[in-house]
Order: sequence, then C-alpha cells, then structure tokens
Amino acid sequence: MSLELLHRRLVVGMGLVALAAFAGGAGFEPTSSIVAALALMVALVWQPDSAVSLRLERVWLPVAAVLVLRSLYHIFLIGDDVVIPVVDLLLLLLCAEALRSLDAPNDARLYSLTFALLLASTAYRPGVLFALAFTSYVVLATLALVVGHLRRAAERHGVREGLVGRRFLVGMAGLSGLTLIMSGVVFVAFPRLSRGFASRGEVLATSIAGFAEQVSIGEHGSRIYPNPEIVLRVEFPDGTPEDLFGLHWRGRSYDRFDGVRWSRSSGLPPSIGPAQWYETWGTGRVRQQIYGAPLDVDVLFALHPLLGARSDNPRIQPLFDNAGDHIYWGSGSPSYEALSVADRPTATALREARSGFSPARRHYTQLPTLPQRVSELADSLTQGLDNNYDKVIAINDFFHTEFDYTLELPRTAREATLDYFLFERGEGHCEYFSTAMVVLLRSLGIHSREVNGFLGGQWNDFGQYLAVTQNEAHTWVEVWFPGYGWMEFDPTPAGAGTSEAVTSWLWPGRFLFDGLQHRWNKWVLDYNLESQSGLYQRISELLGAPSSTTQITTDRAPGAGPSMGWVILIVMVVTLSGLALLRRSRRYPPEVHLYLQFREGCRRAGFRADEGVAPLLLLDELAKARHPAHSRAQAVVDYYLRARFGGQDLNDLERQEMKKDLVDVRRSLRRTRAPSDPPRPRL
Amino acid sequence: MERSVSTVLGKAWKRLRGWRRIRFTLGGALFSAGSLAIGFAAVNTGNNLLYLLLGAMLGFIAVSGWLSERILRRLEIRRHTPRGVTVEKPIRLTYYVTNRKRLFPTLAVYLIEEGLAEPAFISRVGAGDSVAVGSENRFVQRGVYPLETLTLSTSFPFGLFTKERDVALPGELVIWPRTDRPVRLPSTPGGRGRSQFSDSSGGAPGARGEYRGLREYRVGDDPKDIHWRTTAKIGTPVTREYDRDTTDTVRICLDTRGEPGDAAEAAIEVAAAAAAQAYRAGRRFGITTCTSDLTPGGGSGQLERVLDLLARVDYDPSAPHLAPPIDPMGCILVSLSGARRESYGAYIDPVGSSGGAPHTHAGLTEANRRAG
Repeated sequence: MSLELLHRRLVVGMGLVALAAFAGGAGFEPTSSIVAALALMVALVWQPDSAVSLRLERVWLPVAAVLVLRSLYHIFLIGDDVVIPVVDLLLLLLCAEALRSLDAPNDARLYSLTFALLLASTAYRPGVLFALAFTSYVVLATLALVVGHLRRAAERHGVREGLVGRRFLVGMAGLSGLTLIMSGVVFVAFPRLSRGFASRGEVLATSIAGFAEQVSIGEHGSRIYPNPEIVLRVEFPDGTPEDLFGLHWRGRSYDRFDGVRWSRSSGLPPSIGPAQWYETWGTGRVRQQIYGAPLDVDVLFALHPLLGARSDNPRIQPLFDNAGDHIYWGSGSPSYEALSVADRPTATALREARSGFSPARRHYTQLPTLPQRVSELADSLTQGLDNNYDKVIAINDFFHTEFDYTLELPRTAREATLDYFLFERGEGHCEYFSTAMVVLLRSLGIHSREVNGFLGGQWNDFGQYLAVTQNEAHTWVEVWFPGYGWMEFDPTPAGAGTSEAVTSWLWPGRFLFDGLQHRWNKWVLDYNLESQSGLYQRISELLGAPSSTTQITTDRAPGAGPSMGWVILIVMVVTLSGLALLRRSRRYPPEVHLYLQFREGCRRAGFRADEGVAPLLLLDELAKARHPAHSRAQAVVDYYLRARFGGQDLNDLERQEMKKDLVDVRRSLRRTRAPSDPPRPRL
Repeated sequence: MERSVSTVLGKAWKRLRGWRRIRFTLGGALFSAGSLAIGFAAVNTGNNLLYLLLGAMLGFIAVSGWLSERILRRLEIRRHTPRGVTVEKPIRLTYYVTNRKRLFPTLAVYLIEEGLAEPAFISRVGAGDSVAVGSENRFVQRGVYPLETLTLSTSFPFGLFTKERDVALPGELVIWPRTDRPVRLPSTPGGRGRSQFSDSSGGAPGARGEYRGLREYRVGDDPKDIHWRTTAKIGTPVTREYDRDTTDTVRICLDTRGEPGDAAEAAIEVAAAAAAQAYRAGRRFGITTCTSDLTPGGGSGQLERVLDLLARVDYDPSAPHLAPPIDPMGCILVSLSGARRESYGAYIDPVGSSGGAPHTHAGLTEANRRAG
C-alpha cells in the first residue's frame, strides 16, 4: 500500500471515530450521520482521480452553501440549538475532503475537521462510547500524523522505497499509549480551578430530567427530556420490598416557596421528631445498601423514615440537618447502608394525631401572595372534614382524579404559574402537583413541605439491585402529624416513575455496559475539584503521608511498620539501579558485548571462564577438551582481539559474522558441556 | 572580569544551543495555540472532556519531543568530501550514516552544513543499519570553506516542531578557481634549442627521456611508472623519474601583491587556466606566488596541487615581492599591475586592455610567432 493511500485511510478512520464520538454524545442524527458514515466508508476504498475530484467539488459547494444558510437560519431566526446544523456542515466538509484525489494537499484540513468533530462531541455528555472513540482517535491520529509527515518528506525528496512497514506501524500505534497516559495524567492532575470567568452563563433551553438542588415551576416552551443516567444502585440485603417501583428515595426537603421556586430557609430550627416516634410506625425494617453516583448535592438518598445511615468509607461522614434531611460530609461517590421503617401508621392513628410537638409554624405554613381562589379551592376540597389526615387525603385524591400527568412544559410564562395549573391547565409534571398540594395544605394551616428525590427504579435481575436513574427524579409532599412526624404523600397521578423489571437476555451486556458507564460518569464526566482532592488524599494515604483523616480514624503508632512510601521508594531505587546496570552493560562496544556472551556461555558449560581468564586461555581450555565449538570460538575470539586490542573497527559484515559464530558456539556449548574432573580413586 | 563572565556565558549558550534547538513549524505553532485555547476552554467551562483533549494534545507534543530525540541520537556520521571542485560545478558531499540504536529506526533527518544551501536527506536508516546519502551544492567563489559543524535536523514524527542537534565534524571544502578562461600559452620550440620559457632543456614532447632515478609517488603520476619491486620492498609507492620530466616546463608566476577583488580573482583564474592548458598539452608546469612556490610537475595530480594552491591564495598589498626560484625570463608573469614585466619571459594581463579576455604580451607573443 502506498503512503498516500495509507495516510488517506488513516485520516478517514479518524473521521469515522470522531463521528462515532459525536453520535455517542449528541445522539444519533439518522440522516446526516448515516450519509457521512457511508461517504467516509466509500473514501476508505475509493479515491477519485484529479478530474473526478474536481467534478465532485462542484457538487459539494452548493450543498455547503445550503447548509451554511440553514445554520444561519437556526442561529438568527429560530434561535435553535446551533451545534447540530454546524456539525452537519462539518460532516459535509469532512466527506468532501475525504473524497478528494490522493494528491490533494489537504492533510491539515482533514486533521482539523476530524478534530473539530471530536471537539463538538464534548459539548454534550457523551457516554462510554466516547472513551472508545477517543482512544481510537489518538491511535489513528498518531499513525496518520507520522505517515503524513513521512509521505510529504518522501514526495519532496523523491524517495520511493518503503519507509513504513507493519512493524513500524505497530510500534507507532504503541507509542500512542504514551499520549493516552499523558492525557490521563493531565486529566487527573490539572487543577480544577474556579471556572466560568468568561463563560456565557447560559443554560441550554432543553430541560433534562434529573435531581436538582432547587425545585421550581415556571419553565416553559419545551418538554422534559429523559435522562437515563443511573444515580443510585440499591441492594436489599434482607429481602426486596414488595412495592419496589413505588419506593420514594427521599432526598431534600424545602420549606420556603416564593411563588415560583422552593428553597431552604437558612435559620430553620430543628424540625424533626424524636426517633422513637418513627419506631412506633411499626416493627418492619428495610435495610438498603446504596451506591450513589456523585451529584451536585451531598444528599444521602434513602427510604423515609430513615432511622440511621452509616458508611464504611472513612471519607463519607453521614450527617443530618435541622430539617431532618440526611446529608454527608466528604468526597467521592457515597456508598452507605441505610435502615428505614417499612410500615406506616394506620389512618385511624393519624386521624387522632391532633396535639403534640409541631415544627416552627412560620416555616411550614409560609405562603407567597396567591389569588384568593387558591385558598377557596382548599376550603372547598376539605369542607366538612375535621382532621388533618382526611384533609390531606382529600386534596391528594383531588389531584389523582382531576388532573393528568405530562412532561410537556407550559407553552408560555403565563401558563407556567401555579394558578393556571390549578384552574386552567389541569396537567403538569410532579413539581406542579407537589407544589400545589403543599400550597393548598398550608392555606388550611397544615404543616407541610416539598420533598424531592427519586421514585422507583429499574430492577437489575443480573446484579440483583435496583438501578435508579435521573428519569426517576420526582417531588412529593411531607405532612407533619404530631406524635408521628413527617408523613409522605404523593399527589402526582400515574404516568411518572413507571418502571419495569428488565429480564431480557440482553441484560448481561447492558449490565456490563452500565458498570462501564457508571465509572465513566463518575471518574471522567463528573470529575471535579472534590474528586481530585479525594484522589490526592488517597494517594497520600497510599504513600504513607499523615493526613488529617488518618490521624483521626487510625490509631496506629508511628513507626509501627514500614509505610507504603518506603516500599515504593525501595522499589524505585532497585528499578533505577537495575536500569543503570543495564545501561552500563550496554556501554560496551558490540564486539566486547558479544565476547562477554561467549565467556558466559563457556562458564555455563562448565569451563573455567572467570573474569580473570584471558581469551586465549579460554580457547586453550576448549582445545584441550576437544570441544566441537573450538574452531568457531577461535573466530569469535579473533574478532574480539582485533577490535579490542588491535585497534581495528569491525565492519558490519564482520560483526554479523561474529554474531553468527557466537550463535553456533553457544548452541554447541549447550549441547556439549565441559568434561568433568576425573573421579578420584577411592582409598 | 566582565569579559570573562560574558565569555563563559557565551560559551554556555553556544553549548546549550548546540545541544538541541527546537523551532515551531507552522502546523506546530497552530497546534500549540490550539492546545492553549482548549486549555482555556477547559478551565473556563469545567468540561472534563476538554481536559482529556488537552491532555492528548500535550501528549502529542511530549511524544513528538521524545521521539525526535530518539531519532537524532546514536547516529554515527562520516562525511566524504571530494578533493576539490571547480567553481560553479556541482559538488557532492556524501555522508555515511550508521544508526547505532537497537530498536529505533531513524527517519526523515536532514544533514545541514553551515553555509550550504542544500542539505542531505536521510529517509530511513533501520536500527543497526547504514546508508549513504548525499547533497549537491554549487559555489560561486573559489576558496577553502571550513566545515566544522554538521546540523542534524528533523521534524519527525508529526511535523509539529523542528529539532536540531549539532555534531562536530571538522573538514574543509576546497573550491578551485575556474580553468576555462581563454589563455594562449607560448608553445615551446620543440627540441630546436633552449626554450625561452623552460628552466631546462630536454627531449621532444612525448618522449620518455633518459631514466634519472626513483622518487615517491604523487597523486596524478602515471601508474605505469610505478616501480613495483621497490614499492613492495619499502611498502610505499615509488615511481620512476625520467629526464623528460624536467623539459618543456611552464612556470607560472602569479603576482599576488594587490587588493583582493574581482580583478584579483580574474588573475587567479587566468593562472589556473594556464596551468590547465599546460596539463592538457602534456607539459610540466609549476607555479610561484608571492608567498608560496610549487615545483614543476606533470599530470593531473600536479594540476590538482596547483589548483589547491590557487584556491588558498590571498591577495595582499603588503605581500613580499614575487621572487621566482629560477630566471624570471623562463616564467610567465600573471600580474594585475604588470610591474617588472620586462624581467619575465612573458606576461599575461588578466583583465586585458578592454577588460575582456586576457592578453599575452610582448616577447612572449613575438617569440611564439618566431617559434611557429
């Protein structure tokens, strides 16, 4: 294969993997992706001559012009996501360059276009496919750059002979490993400084399902798109609960509502009941082993009511705040064990819960200014009911029966209000339902709050765990009952959080992929300053450096045993010494090196071949023993003496001859050893 | 003190520069600028994949530096220069390159001589292999060009940077003056008596003459005259010398007192042309300048010796007067000033009265006419 063809194929390969990276991130755009992939595959096997190439250019130009107009239309007229039209243009240019004749001087353009495509894919959150594509891209780019450079140099100097062979290419591909290592080192070690000093500060208009620090209503003009990223993996050591897909993985609670957004009051007094209250709910317990993905908030998700959480990971310290929300202090992705109450108080008991400790009224009955008809609605729904529990149930049922669930966001800002939701629209997503219920309850003076977390999940038969994705992000309501604490109610009608067990034969593969994806998300996409400091801390612990954590958590006396740092130091010293010795042995001229090999061969064969034995004496030994290697050995020694003491430089041919002779001698020495000393006569 | 410090610093800088020099190529500059931009974007946006790309780009730069270093290391280079070459004729320098590395081939390396326009290019030398590569250059002025440092330059593997390494490889290039200037030498009387321009009498041109003795062989001597028995006995080549060798001799006297310049170069070229013409005519010839003297001899070896001398000769107004070792009447004077021309048997004006072709003057022309 000529250098030109090899180079073109490598660059086209770069284009294909960049396309795969983009498809792995931005999603599969059927038309443009398929057409581009086909065109690139054609470019792998067909390269037009100059005349056809010129004719093709006449086709590309008008198509490119159309795509430019389309991009401008997207940018200036409809304000849509600009990445896709620009990438379409990029793909067209890439295909056009890939389908040019081999003699076209377009190396730099091809490199730039493939790199731009790879760069575009980073604008999204590409999955683990990006890792594969990125690795392939680095390997192909290494080869393409080397071959392209050699190709141009060979063309300039009219070199015709084969410059690259299969072995050379394999070696170069191996060198790309160094690039990848460097990439990894920079990725891990580059300080994650404060950011955004020149960013646009804007977010994409598209809403993605997922857990958020704040709960708000009011987004409009789009719909909520699914986000299948797994955030929790939950195992149930004591058995799986019955209503697996109705489990509410409680996260955070919010007490303050400003009409649009829920937030947490800064000076919130303790708002939790004593643990004994929850123990009176029943004797059933649910133990959960939870492996969380790193999120923006340090929340420990668990079933409500949570009696306790503990973590074996010393870097995770479970805590709870005044609202009763479980959080953690530390770094890394949290893994912890949670123990929750499985039972619920009976309706009768809750109806009778009328007096007792209640949290601060001003926080849990706070309301923004709302239209009069909102409180009138609450009154009408609860008319004639004399206890809080029945009122809560009435309002809850009202939403279940009168409203519908939808992921479509309201079309305008006016339609995004709570009032419009309650009296006009009649449908919405979970945040509308929970907000509306809390507002109605608070207008009746009932202590309640907004809670978010996840609902349900997908059962992994293979791994025997419940995988909770961002798709299951959900909000619901907690109502205070004196003597029992916070009780959860979910006013959102069916349509949310529907899950199904995954039992198909594809699941083992998906399970493996999920594991990879989980690590990719955790260690690459979501790697941040905290992960970085956690990693550094782990490394320093590994090296034996004292850290604040180890001082607290370990009681090992100083100097009780060799630290890992010393072990690593010793290994490094030994390795470096070995390398130095190796280099020293390489400092010998080739002839001396060959002679030393010969001497070592003699020694192993039983001849006296210590360092002090002169070469000619060694030959005498072989001659006396009538060893078959003698004549060849004589040639080896002769070459050695000429080079070492005769001041003559051996030429390449002679050196090759010496090597051949040495190979024969060593083979012969292995077959025929030195005769042993004659047995002594027995006395 | 200051001077010594600056000298030490200068030497250190020279050594540092001699060790390695790295320059951006256009692609390398763009690549580096792109890396900076990606780094800026990564810090700004916190997009981890940009950090990954940044790492890869820095990785490419690091691999490029490491590999180019390997490529330039452990190369054994010998240079072969021709004994001499005439001005404006192509001169081919040949380099014998041996790659002493065990694993790495050496690819795409330029061998650049300081002051020469065209470098030699090594496309590939496998590990442990040797190749011969060459470069062709032309010189427009005669002289001796010292070769001190050979620069090894490569932009392998990615063409992002050009790395250079200097190797001390002393040598010199001798560029002979032109020998094709039209000069008419006086012809000898052809055995009809003592030649006005010969320092001895002898047999007819082409005749071998009487055997005179043995002398050490010089480059350009006729190999047929080598005395093999004596050569074998003493271990160095020895050649026979005949009486003919001392007859029909042209002695060129080049007056190098004067200012260097185009006229001086023209005089040197005239002297070279005269020597070449004598060689072509099968005559013995020698040359005397103000500072050096080359005893007459014959053959191509003598011509090379004359040209070597002319390549090295310098014009100097304070040079001693021309003092030929024989009677100046047996010499041809080549002089810009024409001083003491009457003392010489013939005189060649290198630039001529019109500045064109050199003119042969006076007794020389007359003598030739009479001889003819």
